Amino acid sequence: MSIVIDQLTKVFPSGKGIFDVSFEVGKGEVFGYLGPNGAGKSTTIRHLMGYMKPQKGQATINGLDCFKNSAEIQKKVGYLPGEIAFLEGMNGLEFLNLLAGMRGLKNFQRRDELIELFQFDVKTPIRKMSKGMKQKVGIVAAFMHDPDILILDEPTSGLDPLMQRQFIELILEEKKKGKTILMSSHSFSEIDRTCDRVGIIKDGKIVAIEDVHRLRSMQRKLFDITLRKEEDVQKLLQSGLDVTKSNRNQVQVAVQGDYDSFINVLANVEVDSLDVHTQTLEEIFMHYYDKRGEIK
Amino acid sequence: MNLSLFRAMMKLHGKTFISYGFGAAVYLLLAAWIYPQIAGFKEINKVMEQMPEGFLNAFGFEGGMPEDLSGFLAAEYYGLIFLLILMVYSIMTSTQLVSRLVDRGSLAYLLATPTSRTKVAMTQAIVLTLGLLLITFITFLAGVLGANWFAQDETFHFDRFVQINVLGFLLFFVVCSYSFFISCLMNDEKRALSISGAITVIFFMISLISKISQELDWLENFTLFTLYQPDEIARGTVEVLPISIWLTITGILFFILSIVVFRKRDLPL
Repeated sequence: MSIVIDQLTKVFPSGKGIFDVSFEVGKGEVFGYLGPNGAGKSTTIRHLMGYMKPQKGQATINGLDCFKNSAEIQKKVGYLPGEIAFLEGMNGLEFLNLLAGMRGLKNFQRRDELIELFQFDVKTPIRKMSKGMKQKVGIVAAFMHDPDILILDEPTSGLDPLMQRQFIELILEEKKKGKTILMSSHSFSEIDRTCDRVGIIKDGKIVAIEDVHRLRSMQRKLFDITLRKEEDVQKLLQSGLDVTKSNRNQVQVAVQGDYDSFINVLANVEVDSLDVHTQTLEEIFMHYYDKRGEIK
Repeated sequence: MNLSLFRAMMKLHGKTFISYGFGAAVYLLLAAWIYPQIAGFKEINKVMEQMPEGFLNAFGFEGGMPEDLSGFLAAEYYGLIFLLILMVYSIMTSTQLVSRLVDRGSLAYLLATPTSRTKVAMTQAIVLTLGLLLITFITFLAGVLGANWFAQDETFHFDRFVQINVLGFLLFFVVCSYSFFISCLMNDEKRALSISGAITVIFFMISLISKISQELDWLENFTLFTLYQPDEIARGTVEVLPISIWLTITGILFFILSIVVFRKRDLPL
């Protein structure tokens, strides 16, 4: 196991924090870490980086304690913080050179490849950079020393869709090389395309650790259907589909997993138009949490 | 210490060091230039005799106008302006070197490299001390040059002037060290700044008040600044060595303590 988090607990004076968080990320695995804002994702990651000392439990990377051996661990780790805050008064290249120097990095080939990949002017002064550009510098800083383990806190925030796709390609490429990756995210498509497993945290507690395929089947999609004839609405209502809303000839149907029977029902009515509601990750999880709550 | 970090920090803060140094140098040169003109001017002593004694004591003109250039510079510059400049330097720079990086989160990037917290803190402490040394040295140089250029005929006690500068450096080595300690302890840049600022200003105010009246002399036991009396050093009445040793040890202790605290604490990065 590359990353092991065992009953990690940290309670802040506000009463918030993380409680008995445990999960493992195997070598070569891509692990998605999901949850609403303030759920404890960043706190967990801060423990992995050795910025915080656990109150209880332990976090280890490659068998080394994350707090005691943080400097040693960093040799093999690339980290992208969730908040971008570079040193002011330098340009991007100077900042990357500072970090490279602190790493003792001698080979700059990977750095230059990454700068080429993300297409930005690295000599722009940091205070003049847009959020997306800073994010690119952060990504280069995390990947330039070709680390075995990557810890990425919301890596695509601030990137435009094209660059988000570019980033997903990069993750897939690193995955092929056998890198271990832990990434937190808000974007379902990002997680869907890259991760093997997903851990979901809410209010500081892990609520689920799932295979990404299973999570996909949990996902509920909402279809907005406009029917040509109003009497067809009755057909849909009686079909056993989960109709969440209906208004004259417009119907909203929620489908989870069973797309076949949905399509069979639609084949018997005249459809004027069909829209898919992409639920945000948050909505999917809120639904997921609710279900979990009922089971308990 | 980490060399890459050291270079980057010197590049970021170097300009500030130089400008503090030059500001001080210009003032000192000006004072050296003025001195020969007022030294021969007997009336000024009469004016000074009119002033309240406590007031004169507070600003280092105890017993009237100093009779040599080093004494004049000690009273005119080292008794007040020097203290003010270095107070600002110590408080601002020590806060910027640690607390600001924690507050703004940029330390996260630096600590995500194999450079340990100990090394990062040590590097920042060295940058802070070196900046202080640089400013004091530029000031010292300006004093010596000023004496050579403008006041060749006046008495200038070189040895005493060196002592004034060395002790001044060491005094602020201590101010830097406790400000650095506070900076290592705080997550909030503004809080670090206001705490170390408050402590230092209180020290300074106490020393000023304690000199005004003899009844308030006892106050001088409650301020670090009592250890630095440039006008007395200029008169040659101060045993400099024991004070120097004491200041050096105190400063080093605070820096060590800072690193210990910084290594063990939670960082909200």
